[in-house]
Amino acid sequence: MNEEIRSTREAFITAMLELAEESSKYLLVCADSLLAMRASAYKLQYPDRVFDVGIAEQNAVGFSAGLASSGFIPFVGTYAGFITMRACEQVRTFVAYPGLNVKLIGINGGVFGGEREGVTHQFFEDIGILRSMPGITIVTPADAAQTYKATKEISVYDGPIYMRLGSGREYSVFSEDDSFHIGKIRVIKQYGNDVSIFASGFVLKRVLDTVEVLKSQNINATVVEVHTLKPVDAESIASILALTGCAVTVEDHNIIGGLGSVISEVSVEHVPVPLVRLGIQDVFPQSGEAKQLLDNYGMSSEDIINAVKKAMIKKERLQKESIRR
Amino acid sequence: MTIKGDNLSKIADELRKDVMKMVHNAGDGHPGPSLSIVEIIVALYFNIMNINPQFALWEERDRLILSKGHACPVLYSALARKGYFDLEKLHSLRKYGSILQGHPDMKVTPGIDFTSGSLGNGISIGLGMAVAAKLKGHNNYVYVITGDGELQEGIIWEAAMAATKFQADNLIVFVDFNKLQSGGTVEEISALNPLLPKWKSFGWHCQEVDGHDTALLIDAVSRAKTVKDQPSVIICHTIKGKGISFMEGDNSWHKRVPSDLELKKAIELLGGEDK
Repeated sequence: MNEEIRSTREAFITAMLELAEESSKYLLVCADSLLAMRASAYKLQYPDRVFDVGIAEQNAVGFSAGLASSGFIPFVGTYAGFITMRACEQVRTFVAYPGLNVKLIGINGGVFGGEREGVTHQFFEDIGILRSMPGITIVTPADAAQTYKATKEISVYDGPIYMRLGSGREYSVFSEDDSFHIGKIRVIKQYGNDVSIFASGFVLKRVLDTVEVLKSQNINATVVEVHTLKPVDAESIASILALTGCAVTVEDHNIIGGLGSVISEVSVEHVPVPLVRLGIQDVFPQSGEAKQLLDNYGMSSEDIINAVKKAMIKKERLQKESIRR
Repeated sequence: MTIKGDNLSKIADELRKDVMKMVHNAGDGHPGPSLSIVEIIVALYFNIMNINPQFALWEERDRLILSKGHACPVLYSALARKGYFDLEKLHSLRKYGSILQGHPDMKVTPGIDFTSGSLGNGISIGLGMAVAAKLKGHNNYVYVITGDGELQEGIIWEAAMAATKFQADNLIVFVDFNKLQSGGTVEEISALNPLLPKWKSFGWHCQEVDGHDTALLIDAVSRAKTVKDQPSVIICHTIKGKGISFMEGDNSWHKRVPSDLELKKAIELLGGEDK
């Protein structure tokens, strides 16, 4: 299995540099986050297109709304939680409500992104917060190659959008040739219909590793990447739930509000099936090494295997009950 | 065409009558905060601003953000009287399906340059517009009207710092300093004084004027336009409820609906209905 690590932050800036060549309407707005965004080269090359408002995220978002209303396409890059929590109202009322073309780029998504920093810099509520606002599109590319593609996609997508990035140490999953289509789920592995595993973001790598273990135990899963949490590709998700009859969700986010909620909502409304949600179990995590944190907060390979078995037992029980009836 | 002197004060009377009728008719709204900015709105829309109601979204127009969005009845009145939409629409304020929402919505009301109503945000957004104008090489100005109470919001001072950094000399902020906010006097709730030195220390060009004198407001803006590389603030001393004697300085009119009798009295005080 490929263990290459590449930075989503750097992939974002690589794409931004190319976009800057295409048009002067793409601007970068930072809140003393220029270094964190790995944007020094961008600033050097396009000093007039970078606006650092200082440690003032509310102003960064409000300022960007003003730029967007005048026809520019600002990308606000800073920590996920400072955009979605500190500047939550500015995002909701002055970006989402008027439907402005502001791109919100949140780094340190999840405990994987925040790792050693502790709770103040581990952001696992961002998607839940934004999903409850009308009019925002939310994407979570799973690695650097996808971040590069996603950045290009969101640059031509009209309207407010949030893209979740990491710390800069993300495992590569996709090749440079794989595309990124906003609003569509993607089936990554289809070993069988015993269970479907839905994953979002950087945890996709460990899910893919784990399905190989499951396969060796004769459990054949379908792995689905859900990189767009809003709008939800409900029809495709429902058809996979119908095929597999049970599901597990894996996300580096609170199980409330993110992917677990998305799949639950689709399931309840369209195809009710047994479902187990893995992710942060509504607790505040500790500092630690990224892998260690994921392992200790319910997203280890073992957790995924156990969740799959739990979901399959429930599915089997339901099938037996329906035969009895 | 710019309008001056007595004609501006006649327009101000009309706007005040509109405000009272709109709030009465809606059964809801903020008349006191609307009345304190009537002259600022009149000076801007009927003299200062370079706008064209026929081309509401003209790229090089001057822009206004009413950061104290709750005072929108007076802005709606000015926009209707400038011809952005039909005067009849003023009767629909705050009603379901109306283009006149409870607080300004740029998506539904012609002439509204930006959505507002949650306090403290106007300068930040205005700064974005001002920087955008410079990037495009346009010579337009961005005006923002803030309340005084809303200066208690942190984002105001975040934007104040950034505006100096970005040398936004095309950004002109009016502070409606009527000394009252929703819950009482500004002095009691969280005092702003000394206000002018605060702005000065943030690097702004500062002026202080009688906010009910359109000639002084127009002069202040002319002076602000001569300043280079610095944003400008004009602190406007105003009276909440100005123009209607029984409302002046009475904070119960922050959000209160005039009775039929109060409306009648108010119209009389403003010179009665046009014949």
